[in-house]
Amino acid sequence: MNETSAPEAPSGETQHRETQWPRWEVLKQDAPARPHQAVGSVHATDPEHALVTARTLFARRPSAVSMWVVPDHAILARTQEQDERGEPLPDTAEGEAQPYVVARKVNHKRSMTFVDVVGTVTATSPARALDLARATFPEPPALAWWVFPDAAVTRTDDTPETVESWFAPAKDKTYRQQSSYGVVGTHASERRGRRAAAPAGEQSGGEHD
Amino acid sequence: MTDTALTSSTLDAAQRDALIARLTALADDELILSHRDAEWVGHAPILEEDIALANIAQDELGHAGVWLSLRGDLDGSDPDTLAFRRDAGEYRSARLVELPRGDWAFTLVRQFLFDAYEAVLIDETCASTYAPLAEAARKIVREERFHLQHTALWVERLGLGTDESNRRSQAALDELWPHTPQLFAPVPGEESLVAAGIVPDLAGVQARWTPLVTAHLARSGLRVPATPSAPPAPRTEHTEHLAELLREMQEVARQEDPGTVW
Repeated sequence: MNETSAPEAPSGETQHRETQWPRWEVLKQDAPARPHQAVGSVHATDPEHALVTARTLFARRPSAVSMWVVPDHAILARTQEQDERGEPLPDTAEGEAQPYVVARKVNHKRSMTFVDVVGTVTATSPARALDLARATFPEPPALAWWVFPDAAVTRTDDTPETVESWFAPAKDKTYRQQSSYGVVGTHASERRGRRAAAPAGEQSGGEHD
Repeated sequence: MTDTALTSSTLDAAQRDALIARLTALADDELILSHRDAEWVGHAPILEEDIALANIAQDELGHAGVWLSLRGDLDGSDPDTLAFRRDAGEYRSARLVELPRGDWAFTLVRQFLFDAYEAVLIDETCASTYAPLAEAARKIVREERFHLQHTALWVERLGLGTDESNRRSQAALDELWPHTPQLFAPVPGEESLVAAGIVPDLAGVQARWTPLVTAHLARSGLRVPATPSAPPAPRTEHTEHLAELLREMQEVARQEDPGTVW
């Protein structure tokens, strides 16, 4: 969990050939005024490949204006449970001061995203960046933190051509929530006497297909 | 659009027939290629690319639907009937898209060659004097730019990846390249459409496409084969593979009465 070291097989275990491509976390921004949000991960050979794959998997239907990918090994992740157990942070080397992106999760009610980006801090190591993040963004209490060097992020460019070809087509595509398809028996929402389905084509919650 | 734009009621009879032929060729290429891509669902090398190729297949299928709907405006034909009730002899697909899916390199090299063709063709079609066609092209061109980015990225990685991936990509290119001129062959009466500014001149499209793809193939460590000097076959002459593809694609629909609503 350090931006300078590649993932290593645990020592003492039989090494097996790694055939999976590196993992990248995907952060998607739905609208210019919204934060980038972690929406999932992709396996890809390199940053450009990761970004193209991320667009295909995470921005086909829901609206988006920007995407980032970050290699998983560049992210220092910390949960509330790890804090409560007093788990030590991984050793992270001190280096030149550099900006770190801070993202956090503040409630359990989210289904489609994990952490939201809240800002940046400048620090000499991931551990110091996490300390600074806690001090800079104390409220509401975070359930999980991510910090990663800004330099580790690969971003979609914001030229009109990219926005048009990567993100605009999804806006014109109509789609249905799963709940609008027929079910065997009676849909739970009908038993409760509620409207069964959101209208097709509404951006009503970022369902992926 | 200017108010001098053509509509379905202002085309003359020759333009109308030629436009039906052109729209059918466009639709059939996308429909058949979409089916070939969809054959990878559940079989692609990794999950992410399985989904990505299915996405591209869905986009191409959607484009086929757009072209067939535009044809329907001209002759009252029904897109589903055209897709599921025509035999190979009535299809106007190019041979490039009919060839079996082959390996991953073959699929991606073909998709790259086709995406580049479609991106240039549709880019120029945005200026069509036939308003419904220009409007459709302006929507489709955005998706095609992204397809092209995706498949160009793959061609580069396969071409420069390993000896094995380079060998397979080169073999794919050697087999596919001789089929590319057919994409740029006009359909009967197409010159009347070009003259009226309804569709772009395919020779001009080819003149943009050729340096675009050859530069990228060379960057990707691949040799561009010689282009055959013989004129391409007409779109009425298919590979042996089309009939088998249609048999599978149309199998379910043909078990039902025409016009069955699902």
